[in-house]
Amino acid sequence: MPIAKYSLEDDVFATSVYGVEWAGPDGDRLTIALLLLQSETPSTIQIESFVETLDYTPSAPVSSIIESTTDWKVDSEGKFHLITSKSSPIVGISKGKNISKWPDISSQKSFDEEQKKAINEAWKKEISGVSQGAYVSQSQHMLAMPSRLGLHAQEDASVLLWPPRQLNDEGERIAPASNKLEKSATILTWTKLSALGAPSEFSLRAPLLGGVSTVLVEFSSGPKGVFMLADDEERIPSIDQTVHFEVRRLYGQDELIHYGLKAVLI
Amino acid sequence: MVDVAMVGAGQTKFGNHALGLKGMWSEAVEKAFSSVDNDCSPIMVEEAFIGSIAFGGSQLGNTAALLTEHSGMDGVSVRRVENACASSGFALRDAWMTIKSGQADIVVAGGIEKMNDLSAERKRYWLGVSGDTEWERLAGLTFPGTYALTARRYFHEFDSTHDDLVHVSVKNHMHGLDNEMAHLRKDISFEKASSGAMVADPLTLYDCCPTSDGASAVILVADHLAHQFTDTPIWVKGSGAGSDKLALHDRPSLTQLRATQLASQKAYSLANLQPNQIDLAEVHDCFTIAEVLATEDLGFAGRGEGGLFARNGYGRRNEGDVTINASGGLKSKGHPLGATGTGQAVEVFKQLRHQVESTRQVRDAEVGLTHNVGGSGATCAVHIFGRER
Repeated sequence: MPIAKYSLEDDVFATSVYGVEWAGPDGDRLTIALLLLQSETPSTIQIESFVETLDYTPSAPVSSIIESTTDWKVDSEGKFHLITSKSSPIVGISKGKNISKWPDISSQKSFDEEQKKAINEAWKKEISGVSQGAYVSQSQHMLAMPSRLGLHAQEDASVLLWPPRQLNDEGERIAPASNKLEKSATILTWTKLSALGAPSEFSLRAPLLGGVSTVLVEFSSGPKGVFMLADDEERIPSIDQTVHFEVRRLYGQDELIHYGLKAVLI
Repeated sequence: MVDVAMVGAGQTKFGNHALGLKGMWSEAVEKAFSSVDNDCSPIMVEEAFIGSIAFGGSQLGNTAALLTEHSGMDGVSVRRVENACASSGFALRDAWMTIKSGQADIVVAGGIEKMNDLSAERKRYWLGVSGDTEWERLAGLTFPGTYALTARRYFHEFDSTHDDLVHVSVKNHMHGLDNEMAHLRKDISFEKASSGAMVADPLTLYDCCPTSDGASAVILVADHLAHQFTDTPIWVKGSGAGSDKLALHDRPSLTQLRATQLASQKAYSLANLQPNQIDLAEVHDCFTIAEVLATEDLGFAGRGEGGLFARNGYGRRNEGDVTINASGGLKSKGHPLGATGTGQAVEVFKQLRHQVESTRQVRDAEVGLTHNVGGSGATCAVHIFGRER
């Protein structure tokens, strides 16, 4: 989902395509912020007030998520401030810490108010749940974050490896990730799981979205991976179609939101 | 080296059981020992291997000790074997290796799973924990999803459509119709199987095996004891196992199971047999596409010809060179995860001794194969059995 952007003097702002009303079915202030940061020339940024305004706690520090996903550096003395409204999912990059008036960015896409309420409620319930889904340890989440969010890949015998691996087939340790995969890939196959077939993590939202769509893609540099489709995508994917990737909420558990890349059909 | 014979085999009916773990396991053991022609009792067992995922988390630790305690094997050296849906295929292999190595002469291999007294959500949690939780599962995939990805790619790469999968489903339901141990004993038409509710596009309800409760057990003995227990031992002629990357996206091919290829190559080599010498094969059809792949990876069909094999009905009982899933397979007989592998061995044991219901006996069955896969192909155990040593 492209963000809607608006410039005012030296500041830039963004919302989802739904405007200031809704961040979308798997978006929030942080996912909008990441897209906005990616669209601007990287610099240093302060994020303290932004973090305080988030609805839920991310499973990893926001600074790590930003630096894994963008080329911006988080700095308490940074040149810019990442700001957001307490009442609306609008995000800005500003030289000042406070904004007197938020711009009214009109929505580019309509949504069903009931659907929005139902999905927001599902997220709320899901996040307050206790480990009903698969358990991936916090340390594993942190270790894999540059790969999960930034597509950082390892190299072994001139072959790029992603997701991260430990020892190679000769039993030698593979060096840490030093490359980045391309920002787009080609669909090799795809499926759409019905609510009945979806993992338990998605049991509340899958029925509302009509199922969960997943694509298995191949990067031109070699590695393959699986990604959910972003947003409430209604288009049917096809083999050989190109996708690019954006950060979205994956699932919530134990009062934490887990983020990852999702595929956007081009 | 010592040869290994199967002298007894038994199982519960697969399906929805009122019995719990202890009740199902003891029933399977009772049936296995009562199937031995001459005196044999659980107290004679020296080692036991019990496959289970401990689905639902009930008695997750020390599962096997609890079960042997309640099945007349008190004090035996026992352990739970866990390799997802291939748990008891590997329990069988461990039992075989124990006798081959000379460490024991009488060994039980079995499996058990209690799946159907959980809520739908908890069931989906446990069904997903054997896949790649870090990447696949967080991309929305459970096993229906991974096999759906495989199916769509298979249709893209080869001359095959969903109709080929429907043929698998119809055949296996036909085979399971007269199997008193089967979970879903109902004949289904091609039309009905073509129009099932979508589970994971392109796989429908009729492409998916049921989740079942059940237990199964077989008794293996060293060659010098075989004829003490029966005049018709079934010999374990070959055993092979293999593994592969856990996640589908880490494998070079999306339409082949390397673990199956590795396991079957070893089993065929040990048995000194070729695929065209197998009379019946119980293959791991957790999803219909899995049977299509298995017919290729086990050598019954050429690469890319598994769909055609199904379309032409080559696996139907007594119609082709090999009968595929005479029991009804996982699709009809059912899939109590940990019990499936040795459940396949129970079927082959009875088929080779010509002891199944007459309507479903594979004619002149001399050699049978079992193929038990863990997850989407991360692990696989293949065994070859014969009436001749």
